[in-house]
Amino acid sequence: MKRAPYNHPESAELSGPRYWRSLDELSQSPEFLAQVEREFGPEASEMNEVDRRHFFKIMAASFAIGGLGFAGCRRPDSHILPHSKMPEHQVPGQALYYATGFPLRGETLPLLIETHTGRPTKVEGNADHPGYRGGTTRKAQAAILDLYDPDRATAHTKGTAKISNADVSDLLASLNKKYSASNGSGVAVLAESSSSPTRLRLKKAFLDAFPEATWAEYDAIDATNAGIAAAKVTGNDSLQPKYDLTNASRILAVDADFLDEEQGAVQFSKQFADGRRVRSSKDEMNRLYSVESNFSLTGAMADHRKRLASSQMVSFLAAVALELDLGVEGNSLNSTLSSLAGKLDPATQEWAAKCAEDLSAHKGECLVFVGQHLSPEAHALGLLVNEKLGNLKKTVSLVAVDNAASVSIQDLASNIESGSVNSLVVLSGNPVYNAPAGIDFAALLEKVGEVVRLGYYADETSEKASYHITQAHFLEAWGDGRTYGGDFVAQQPMILPLFDGVSEIEVLARLVGEANADGYSLVYSTFQSENGNSGKRAFDAFLNEGFLSAGYSVSNSNVSGLQVADLLNGYQSPAAPTQERLEIRFLNDASVDDGRFVNNGWLQECPDPMTKLTWDNAINISPVLAKDLGIVASDSAIQVARKNPNKVRDGRQFASVATITVDGREVTGAIHIQPGLDNYTVVLPLGYGRTKTGRVGTGSGFSAYAIRSASAFVANATLVLTGAQYQLASTQEHWSMEGRAIVREANLETYQKDAGFVDRLGMESHSPAIYGEVAETMSTQEKVTETPRGGSIYEHPDLTGTHQWGMSIDLNVCTGCNSCVIACQSENNIPIVGRDQVRRGREMHWIRLDRYFSSTSTDNTEIPEDPQVSLQPIACMHCETAPCETVCPVNATVHDEEGLNAMAYNRCIGTRYCANNCPYKVRRFNFFDYQQRELDKLYMGPLAPKGMPELVQMAQNPDVSVRMRGVMEKCTFCVQRINQAKIAQQAKAGAGDDVRVRDGVIKVACEQACPTDAIVFGDLRDADSRVSQLRENERSYSLLGYLNTRPRTTFMGRVRNPNPEMPDYQSQPLSTVEYNYASHGSHGEHGSSELHEEAATHDSHSDSEGGHH
Amino acid sequence: MSKVFPKWSNALPLKIVVFVFVFVTTLLAGITYYVTPKYVRVGYEPTQPVPYDHSFHVGELGLDCRYCHDKVDQSDVANIPAADTCMKCHSMIKTDSDLLAPIRESYATGEPVAWKRVHQVPDYVYFSHQAHVTRGVSCVECHGQVNEMEVVSHAEPMSMGWCLDCHRNPEEVLRPVDQVYNLDWVHPGGKQGQIKDGLKFVDERNITPPQSCTGCHR
Repeated sequence: MKRAPYNHPESAELSGPRYWRSLDELSQSPEFLAQVEREFGPEASEMNEVDRRHFFKIMAASFAIGGLGFAGCRRPDSHILPHSKMPEHQVPGQALYYATGFPLRGETLPLLIETHTGRPTKVEGNADHPGYRGGTTRKAQAAILDLYDPDRATAHTKGTAKISNADVSDLLASLNKKYSASNGSGVAVLAESSSSPTRLRLKKAFLDAFPEATWAEYDAIDATNAGIAAAKVTGNDSLQPKYDLTNASRILAVDADFLDEEQGAVQFSKQFADGRRVRSSKDEMNRLYSVESNFSLTGAMADHRKRLASSQMVSFLAAVALELDLGVEGNSLNSTLSSLAGKLDPATQEWAAKCAEDLSAHKGECLVFVGQHLSPEAHALGLLVNEKLGNLKKTVSLVAVDNAASVSIQDLASNIESGSVNSLVVLSGNPVYNAPAGIDFAALLEKVGEVVRLGYYADETSEKASYHITQAHFLEAWGDGRTYGGDFVAQQPMILPLFDGVSEIEVLARLVGEANADGYSLVYSTFQSENGNSGKRAFDAFLNEGFLSAGYSVSNSNVSGLQVADLLNGYQSPAAPTQERLEIRFLNDASVDDGRFVNNGWLQECPDPMTKLTWDNAINISPVLAKDLGIVASDSAIQVARKNPNKVRDGRQFASVATITVDGREVTGAIHIQPGLDNYTVVLPLGYGRTKTGRVGTGSGFSAYAIRSASAFVANATLVLTGAQYQLASTQEHWSMEGRAIVREANLETYQKDAGFVDRLGMESHSPAIYGEVAETMSTQEKVTETPRGGSIYEHPDLTGTHQWGMSIDLNVCTGCNSCVIACQSENNIPIVGRDQVRRGREMHWIRLDRYFSSTSTDNTEIPEDPQVSLQPIACMHCETAPCETVCPVNATVHDEEGLNAMAYNRCIGTRYCANNCPYKVRRFNFFDYQQRELDKLYMGPLAPKGMPELVQMAQNPDVSVRMRGVMEKCTFCVQRINQAKIAQQAKAGAGDDVRVRDGVIKVACEQACPTDAIVFGDLRDADSRVSQLRENERSYSLLGYLNTRPRTTFMGRVRNPNPEMPDYQSQPLSTVEYNYASHGSHGEHGSSELHEEAATHDSHSDSEGGHH
Repeated sequence: MSKVFPKWSNALPLKIVVFVFVFVTTLLAGITYYVTPKYVRVGYEPTQPVPYDHSFHVGELGLDCRYCHDKVDQSDVANIPAADTCMKCHSMIKTDSDLLAPIRESYATGEPVAWKRVHQVPDYVYFSHQAHVTRGVSCVECHGQVNEMEVVSHAEPMSMGWCLDCHRNPEEVLRPVDQVYNLDWVHPGGKQGQIKDGLKFVDERNITPPQSCTGCHR
């Protein structure tokens, strides 16, 4: 398409050369000339006699080449920037994994971090550690987003002026001189508890160097009571109880959420799940009793659950102890215990007695687990009970934990008050925000001459400090820690500090005046002194493994009953709460903890495991209290029965706002009615209502610290409605299964009698999936490739691939902790959508936890006070005959050869037909460009600024496409991990034919993070794979299998293990009772307590299974 | 009725139809030719900061592809060599060449050399070099005769249809694994021989190139 050059009869001033002068520099450079030559060949080489047409051609090209714009003419240049010198071990495009640990208070969780070209992108558990075995918590999973938080503190400051790293070093050096001169008098340090051996070493060095200094430690939820009790009853100050569920076949949790909130929760989850993972009806299973005021995940897993105010726990433990053989110590204890136990109502006493009986029958293999926040009296009683049950050194051990002496925040406050502190160092924590209500820490800080604050965020405390030192994230700094059991964990930096932050140990070392104050040297020398100078080689092995087995030393001390009696003598058992004198229970929020994660969008949007609230906290009250307050309108009985009791309008939950008053202090917040709470205990999650935080956390919830004195629960509170309403953002309004067999449950007894109970529940018992007669003799492996059609006329996808992927989820061990939700979010670049969008039901999580309540009531006219909970993780089921695929007009969702239900984002035009046709409601639509736009400016459309902050971009997984507005997305079974494993196997095979990926090589993100190994992913075509075995297990069932969707994800029915002797024994799980009632209630001949067994003979059921919520 | 439309308007509908037909056909043909990778990408030949000559280094000196692109069989991406790879030889040969100045500078300062990217697949496409070269697909199938190129240019369209051509008929390109980096290799038996051996390789190596979305889109 060449054209002859056409010379315009131009006037002199418009001719070429004049224009050229303006581009002189560019055009005359040899580089430019060379480029032009190469691009256009000889034609364009006549630069000196250039005409207008040529000029424009060249100019466009030069713009494109120079990257100055006009990119439309040419693809924009992009560059490849290789290293100057190739770093060792690095393979561009391949992730590298480093071991580190997630420190949170007294525990460090061993982790592996996936890094891409030096940029951490994903947190995985360290599967080599024998206790944690790769499990993680949602908080650990979300650490990546904290690291790349654009709102984190970016500079050290003095007042409002920025100071450099060198200034910080000078400051700390001058403090060291000053402290040395005064011997530490007038000096105080306020820190959080920590498991780090280096911190401990430096703390001791600090107290040695400055003997008159004060060292205070403070955690919002204090966990020191167990140690106080152990010291009292054994006479040894350093002892603490450590629990071990491995051999515990009977567990009593006393206000203890050991599956989620307690320290060591991941390890406990693994141990608990091991005792519960039945594979056949002959297997043994542990039994969990839970007494609690809140409705925790541990309560949800319990076989027997008793609602009781936290203040009554001492009485409850006394009632348990009374039933045991106390031996000679009984004489001194009996009267005290009886008077305590007498405070309980008879029903609770009976419950405690029967429970104690069961525990006594399992001496040495049972456990009484006392919640960390309970009083020393409760812990002392717990230790006594455990000793009498023969559990000491079996399921509970007293171990020596050296934490060095420290004082409480109250002592520090009174020191400041008396004017004896003139220099205060605050090491992380945020006391101005979270100090106990009696202490006005902001005012106290003003009394101190000089406040140096080390903090990750420039928050409330930094505002009041003279100096703010930016803290390095744990992924940026050297450090160490200990697991719950005491193993050393290495904490390695994944990346240089993004904003010149320094770590806590580096600050301390400089304060103490250590010569080598860099993190590596500090950790190295601690390691050498703790491990007998084993040298660099041992240290490198430690870093490589990520941990070093070194349990705390177990003490042989016995529990002295006399000391327990002594402790209890002065104890006044508080009266049970009533409507006028409510008990308030404070707990670290499931998402934002004590407030430290409030600016983390993943955690903010992660639904609370039980309330399913996001972005806010709420005043959680029991249905009884709600009724007393008249919150639920009397004419809404049916709605009450069928829906969330909280007022729901247009799918949004409108909550009444109330004010709680304790000791003259007030806090106002929205009410959420939560079934399963103790009647007159109000649960307030801490951590919200921050006044100075980043964009995500601002305006989120209310601060319950305003009314919280030191302990985790207070009495004598009143609650008054203000009349206002607030719109909460909840991800699950509906709580009933409506009698459908979505989660299938049976008691252990039923399971032992009828191993195939799951097949006798649900519509499939009447109308099984259409496989046809041919399928009866087929194995799973044949079925998943050949997909027998029965009478169906639809074509099925060609499932010829080498592998056939499938997943099995064991509902018997899933605790509903939400770790998988965050792991998936991190792995798959899933955006957060903000409070407003969640209210509209647009959250994007690919996997969710459905939480159902079921109660003994069959008429459903009251909100259940004491329901059972069933939790179920739901992600895309990858149906073999997927309903979404048949309705897509553009083939954007299709099957691949290996049974994955694929989603081609580039084809998707956003009709949302697929979401409409999905019976599991797992498809997620990008209503907005959530990744590119600010969440408060979504509705401004193109007028809003576009682009993801650079820091957040670094958190993205480069192996997964970032989706844009207008496309559908959903779980892909982590197709990126599948492909990487397949490619690695193929590369290994080379010219050979062994391309089958071995079982267990692929761990999908949710499976990897799961602290109970409830999720198993693998190849169904391999008859020996774990997932094939589980799929053929008698407890496996397909969710809504009668729809003939043939899901590749199957669930394993839940088995409860109640004790027939207990007063609250139910012969059937309540969801099964409800199922039987709803689906067979009209049949007179069936008792509602029997499983329906004659499926074939019934043809006139009014089964309500057809509807989906 | 009076004459509303003049007589020439009788032919107008036909003219319009013919015009629209010709216009649309031309437009579509134009788009098909000019706006597809075959036209806009093949032949792209940017000037690199250092005029590295593959025909000399590979063709004449006989360097293996993997001397510089040493991670091609270990990773999804075939790495561009770091400056120290060049310096292995050029610290001794042509140590003061002006053309190599950027390399020496990079080696000294640690700043990367900004090579221009020639081949680029979209962000939503995940292509793995490792999966191809280890299984008997030669570099030449996608990159052309790089060993004869003085300046690297974009040889193939790299459109989705072009990828699928191969994924549907892998036997046409599969070769003995030890000949992958020999860009001059052709099957001695010609096309017939290639297909015959190719089919054998497909069978022997259990080659199942994905033809569904998940193969390349994640």
